[in-house]
Order: sequence, then C-alpha cells, then structure tokens
Amino acid sequence: MPKITNNIRRLRFDHNEMTQEELANKVGCTRQTIIALEQGKYVPSIWLAFQIARTFNVNLEEVFRYEE
Amino acid sequence: MAPLQKRAWWGLGIGLVLAIAFLLVFILKGGIETFDKDVTFRLIIDALLIGSLVANLIIVNLPLRQRGMVDERDRLITDRAPRVQWVAVILTLAAWTIALNEVYQETGLMPALLLYVMFMSILIISTLAQSLGILIGYWMMDRNAKNN
Repeated sequence: MPKITNNIRRLRFDHNEMTQEELANKVGCTRQTIIALEQGKYVPSIWLAFQIARTFNVNLEEVFRYEE
Repeated sequence: MAPLQKRAWWGLGIGLVLAIAFLLVFILKGGIETFDKDVTFRLIIDALLIGSLVANLIIVNLPLRQRGMVDERDRLITDRAPRVQWVAVILTLAAWTIALNEVYQETGLMPALLLYVMFMSILIISTLAQSLGILIGYWMMDRNAKNN
C-alpha cells in the first residue's frame, strides 16, 4: 500500500535545531501533531503540508514523499 | 499525550464518578418510588446530572473552541467521536426498551417518572461516550499508522 513519508525531523535539525514546539507554533498545530507526523502516524492536510514546507522555505516534495 | 486527549481522560473519569454517584444515590435512597415522593432526593439527582454535564462542558467541549488547544488532527478525531455517542445512545435505548417491556408488560402500566430517568441516563451515557469516542479516535489513529 502506498504511503507518504516525510523529512520533517531532518529539516528541523537543519534549521537551527528547531524544536517540535517551535515548528508547531509556526505552522499552527500542536506539538503532538508534529510528533505524529515525524513518526508517520498522521498524514497532514494539504494546508498544513504547505505551511510546513513554507516554514522550511522548501518545496512540498522536499518535505513529503509519496512512496509506492 | 495531546491536550485534548488528556481532557478526554479527565472527562471520562469525572463522568464515571458522577454516573456511579448518581446510581448509588438512586439505589440507596430507595429507587423510583422515593424519587417520585422525595423532593430533596430529586434535587440531589438533578444536581449530579447538571454537575456531570457542566463538568463535561468545561473539560471537553469548551477547549474545542479555544485557539491553539486543538488542531486539524484533533478536529478530525472529535468529528468522528459522535459515531461512538450514537452507538452508545442506541444501545442504551434498546436496553431500556427491553428492560421496561419485560418488567411492565403484564401490568401494561409504567410510572411516567421512568421517562425522566431514561432521559437522564441517556444524557449521562452520551456525555461519557463523547470522551470515550475521542480516546478511541486517538488510539485508532495510532493503530492504523502502525498497520501501515
């Protein structure tokens, strides 16, 4: 079954070791949702996905990957 | 644990305590006949009922309106919680219907006050089921992620 993976954890560390809390505050979600995203337990809405990509100043595909 | 998840646990815990208190007071005070005649008893039961509803409102429902308390993942889970409430209400109604029918079928008469008691019990169960639905939602989200 196809799944969506992400590089959020790596991108956080690459951006001045941003904490989960800081990222959550910037994108408008809870820290638990960032944790769930990084653990692959939750697939975000397109809105949240774009918010995360914009926070890291990268394209959406650099944050999220669709794997067959 | 998400803030809403913590509140759902609190809501469930307090709701259960109040529901058990409601049941104990009702049984210890003499049941439906006493409920009909004793005003103080009725007021105690009403207070327990209102207490459980207010507790649920403060602990579970009001935070849903606060900015920053819930996000899209939390809203997805709370939007699905009514399914559990619906099942709980239907099962409760079925249990009441069967029980009352078995008890009062021969006489064909049922105290009207039982309708009040039925309504109170369904209200309490629906409130508890909302917290349970939220907790089940979080659990299923974790479980489905592991299966994928």
